[in-house]
Amino acid sequence: MTDLPTPPTVSAAGLTLHYGSTAALDDVSLRLGAGVTGLLGPNGAGKTTLLRVMATAVPADRGAFTVLGHDPSTTAGRQNVRRALGYLPQTPGFHPDFTAFAFVDYVAILKEMTDRAARHREVRRVLDAVDLGDVRGKRIRRLSGGMRQRVALAAALVGDPGFLVLDEPTVGLDPEQRMRFRELIATAGEGRTVLLSTHQTEDVAMLCHRVIVMAAGRVRFEGTPAELTARAEGRVWSSTERDPGARAGWRTGTGAFRNVGDPPEGATLVEPTLEDGYLLTLDATSAAASGVTS
Amino acid sequence: MSTLTEARPMPVVAEADPRRWTAVIALARFEARELLLQIPVFAMCLFYVGYSGWQLFSGREGMDDYPVLQDVDRATQTLPMLPAVAVLICVNLAVLRSRRYHTDGQLDVLPMEPWRRTLAHALSVVPFAMFTALVVALRFGWAALGQDAVGHGSVAELAVGPLTVLLAGVAGVLIARLIPSVPLAGLAVAGGYVLLTVAESSAGDPRWMRWLWPVVSENGSVPLPSDLLGRPAAWHALYLAGLVTLVLCLAVLVSGGRALLVKAVAFGAAALTLTGAVAQSAGDSSALVAARVRASATPEKDQTCVRHGRSTYCAFPEWAGRTADWAETVRRAQSLAGGAAGGARLTVRQRVEARYGLGTDAAIDPSRTPGEVTVDTRWGGNRVSEFAVGVASVLVAGDERTAGEMCDARTVMVMWLALGNDPDPMGSLSELRLDDSVSGSAIVRSPTDPLAMTAQQTTVVRELLQRPRYSVIPKVKANWTELTSPKTSTARAAKLLDVPLPEGEKGEDECGV
Repeated sequence: MTDLPTPPTVSAAGLTLHYGSTAALDDVSLRLGAGVTGLLGPNGAGKTTLLRVMATAVPADRGAFTVLGHDPSTTAGRQNVRRALGYLPQTPGFHPDFTAFAFVDYVAILKEMTDRAARHREVRRVLDAVDLGDVRGKRIRRLSGGMRQRVALAAALVGDPGFLVLDEPTVGLDPEQRMRFRELIATAGEGRTVLLSTHQTEDVAMLCHRVIVMAAGRVRFEGTPAELTARAEGRVWSSTERDPGARAGWRTGTGAFRNVGDPPEGATLVEPTLEDGYLLTLDATSAAASGVTS
Repeated sequence: MSTLTEARPMPVVAEADPRRWTAVIALARFEARELLLQIPVFAMCLFYVGYSGWQLFSGREGMDDYPVLQDVDRATQTLPMLPAVAVLICVNLAVLRSRRYHTDGQLDVLPMEPWRRTLAHALSVVPFAMFTALVVALRFGWAALGQDAVGHGSVAELAVGPLTVLLAGVAGVLIARLIPSVPLAGLAVAGGYVLLTVAESSAGDPRWMRWLWPVVSENGSVPLPSDLLGRPAAWHALYLAGLVTLVLCLAVLVSGGRALLVKAVAFGAAALTLTGAVAQSAGDSSALVAARVRASATPEKDQTCVRHGRSTYCAFPEWAGRTADWAETVRRAQSLAGGAAGGARLTVRQRVEARYGLGTDAAIDPSRTPGEVTVDTRWGGNRVSEFAVGVASVLVAGDERTAGEMCDARTVMVMWLALGNDPDPMGSLSELRLDDSVSGSAIVRSPTDPLAMTAQQTTVVRELLQRPRYSVIPKVKANWTELTSPKTSTARAAKLLDVPLPEGEKGEDECGV
């Protein structure tokens, strides 16, 4: 794990949370600084649980964390964390009869923005920022899925929170909408701490200056995207047939097979990607879990 | 597409130490606006204002021109039930909004805690209660400022409408917090209502249970003097105010607001509610019962009398200003009478039947005292004609009891005296008769026992009323003694007054047919 380029704004130590006998989080420790940090992991890795804990939606069984110096284990501390928080859950809900403006205004009120004129200015600002200024008077039920997702992002951004928690915000969006969202998230990451959970390694490659990989409730990797990519250095090769010794292999658009794993002697190595590093990190995790060394 | 990299407005952040109550007020304002946009609330408020306005400006055949304020205040209580029910439903839905649309996940991590949101939802009802209070005040104020208003209104009675709306609102909030499901909450409300109603009816509608409801209607047809009402209005208002506060505190407590202050207020509100409930359940005091008996049996002990012309007019103190109106009606009837009746000294006495309480329609027994005419506490519209019938009955028959037993030409004379000087005699004749007819037999209203009119009598009366008065008056006065004799038949009266009768109506009087 490399040092953060900026002082940590969010840090967690030993976070553990069980659902019955299943450890959703198992001794998770991490540090986040300003900028966008990607959180990668397969389904059931504990990403959403970690985000919910960080967003104070559920308390951890054990461990502690701080957000911008506030400790959520106390009532006052939890309130302060919530005041500094912008949270976009995995499947955000909406009040369909509200207009986009009314919904974000409602969230702004719940964020204790009491000056009506200033609050309305802020609501207009975030709706403009997510490119919804023109439809702010439309009822949410009449907006497209991508627009609704942007309403949810605007609601998370309202009040300029110092810590933004985004749980798979680009799921279900078409490529153009995803590009737009990346742009928004990149901008949101300027000067604030953003924790972005995603299945999309391209999102991490394009947006994040740090990446955390989770599997089975534990942090398996924490570093920069380049460091994660470097894990696959010398472990990706090209062949005309699928290499049976590869951990993973698939035919590419050129007709050649791209193999990831431990290359055979004389293999034609190719430039690894972040996804290769991610796959190998997960593979090492599952191998360790099953007692096989890679 | 605009982006954040362009020059943009500075973000606005919440205050470092936000004023917690200001945020609650801001949310309450937001929710109040949302409530108003809900169709049931908007429609019911509109209907409430519209119907109240219609009641104010239309009047009921002139009867509302003479309001009795101790009845007007109670009349403001029932109509707010409509906006109250709409508010209950819509507040309940508003509280459950985040659950219905699955937004709790993202909203529960916002700084405003659920108990403060609960408080805001409850406060969002306040504008609707204030709106109700305004309509109530307008209705009552309009009636009270009219120069013909009598009696005294009660602030406690007037407070019931707005308190009902408040209670419905906080009940909607509490139900949502206790039963976070729209269909189940609806079932619970309907089930609770049915259960209470069944319990009340099976228990024989006891007073203590009846007064647990927000609106307790006790509307007899005849207003009583305000000191005979016996309604525990102040205790009931205290009970409702305590209940509103208690339900609000319970909702806050259920939502996680555990501050000592909330618990203390809840205890205080429970004490107030209990005090109000116990006090309002007490039956009528012996002093009240005695006062009601006195006012019903010996009203002269409570009344002041004044003279207008030859006659004396005795009224309960609150109606003392109305004696001039009564005197005018007496003058008009008496001016048509002949013989001694034209100069008779009458005693017009206001009477009520208060012994059975406020909610009964007990009739007033006719007086046996010669020359005494009963007038009740209502005035305006048909009541003026009814009183004229009472006056005419005594002028013709001598007393009210005898007038109720007439079956001869005297009935014709009673109706002539009552309506002969009426500006719209045929209209008044129709309104006086129970079936609103102007032909055939019918029952005629009067302040005490009604009169029976045969078809024959109706024919004669109708003919007289349609003729010029100057042609009828001399004949009536000239034949007054015979026309007011119990031995004179209607057929004979018709002959004396030159009224032709159809073939089928030339026989003797047959009353009760």
